[in-house]
Amino acid sequence: MSKKGILVAVEGMDGSGKSTQAKLLYHWLRAKGLPVYHTEWNSSKIVKEATKIGKNTRRLLPITFHMIHAADFADRWAQQIEPVLEIGGIVICDRYKYTAMARDGSRDVPQGVIEATYSFAREPDLTLYFDVPVDISFDRIAKGRPKLKFYEAGMDMAWTPDPFESYRIFQGKVSEIYAGLVESDRIVRLDAQGTVAEVQSRVREVFDNHIDLSSIEIIDHSDRLAQNLSESDIDWLTYSGGGDGE
Amino acid sequence: MSHPGKLIVIEGPDHVGRTLHARLLSARLKANGIATHTIGLARSELMGPLVKSHTADIHQLNWRTRSLLYATDLHDQIKHEVEPLLNAGFVVIADRYTLTPRIREQVRGGDGKWISALYSDIPEPDAVVVLHAGPRRLLNRIMFGERLEALNHFEAGMDLALSTSITSSFLQYQKMLRQQFQDAGKKIGATLIPTRLTVEQVHDKIWDSVNPVVEGMLQPISEN
Repeated sequence: MSKKGILVAVEGMDGSGKSTQAKLLYHWLRAKGLPVYHTEWNSSKIVKEATKIGKNTRRLLPITFHMIHAADFADRWAQQIEPVLEIGGIVICDRYKYTAMARDGSRDVPQGVIEATYSFAREPDLTLYFDVPVDISFDRIAKGRPKLKFYEAGMDMAWTPDPFESYRIFQGKVSEIYAGLVESDRIVRLDAQGTVAEVQSRVREVFDNHIDLSSIEIIDHSDRLAQNLSESDIDWLTYSGGGDGE
Repeated sequence: MSHPGKLIVIEGPDHVGRTLHARLLSARLKANGIATHTIGLARSELMGPLVKSHTADIHQLNWRTRSLLYATDLHDQIKHEVEPLLNAGFVVIADRYTLTPRIREQVRGGDGKWISALYSDIPEPDAVVVLHAGPRRLLNRIMFGERLEALNHFEAGMDLALSTSITSSFLQYQKMLRQQFQDAGKKIGATLIPTRLTVEQVHDKIWDSVNPVVEGMLQPISEN
């Protein structure tokens, strides 16, 4: 498969601020007039329902959890990601296959299995790993919440009966796997501490250092505005024509 | 069939700016003292609600069935709106008429002659404008404006199995449509207008081709 388009992924723990930053990155590139698309983990319509059933009935086991997430991702890959890459666009994925490696890996699904399942998903041109100390992300998610969801806390693994303790164990494992991916240069560590603006300027800097946008064609001004133009009006009293066309 | 009104047809694929330009043309005619009425596909009282609520199902139908449903829709509008209004001296603007329903079936292997015969006894357009744009331009407009999800499978020609990817399929399908629109447009003496120009420039070209038809009816704004 020829490598077309630009694929950027953001990864990190829940509460690392990556989603906020991914959206800002999307809006920045869009403001440059580039063909850019933003997509999130666990968002395809097809699989959502089954995932919900699986979670509510607690039927999901590590391997079925792995497969159903992969099915969801495969759907997004085919419907959203690949079509945009194919026409030379930019895709920003809020979570990519490394999330599966981290989460499913924490549930003891062998890395070889995860890699094989996701082998159709190419390595992104850049994967930003939003790194915050586990304690901070834990606080952001766990503080002020009476309880954590069963699977979110990793209770299915029966590490401990206390959901908050279980979540901490789970996040510790996830963080370790991410660290390994940073070590092997598959994802790029980004210090995610600081204000939203500070982190965004770091994101842009790393992006500029890693990504060459010169091959991406800017969308014509009038086509970017097509939706607004479709509402446009003309004042006929003063109208004297639109000038020479060609 | 002689009548004091005029029928102006604007054709072209989705996202080309057809509806915008139909609206601008209508506004300008009204500003110049001409009563207008706009019709379009799937807008009849008889068929509109059905087509809109079952779009996906209709896309699954055999081309002949689909052609008949759209022909029913257009004939309903012709009998109840177009003919009476042309007789009353209106300028009727058709935001798509017989070209789109024929061409999009032809590229799917439908029999163009058979489809044309469904429309053999309807008011002849006094002017036809075909708006066109490169497939990539149309795709850019969709992607930048609405979102990829707005791209429907039929409009992307996915049923033709040109490609498993919706974007590639869209580009190939729209290329075929554009060719057919241009060929058919030339054949019937339509004015072909590329919509890469500004809104005003495209409007001017439309106005130029419509003006000879409505000239005698115009009552300019400036003459108080």
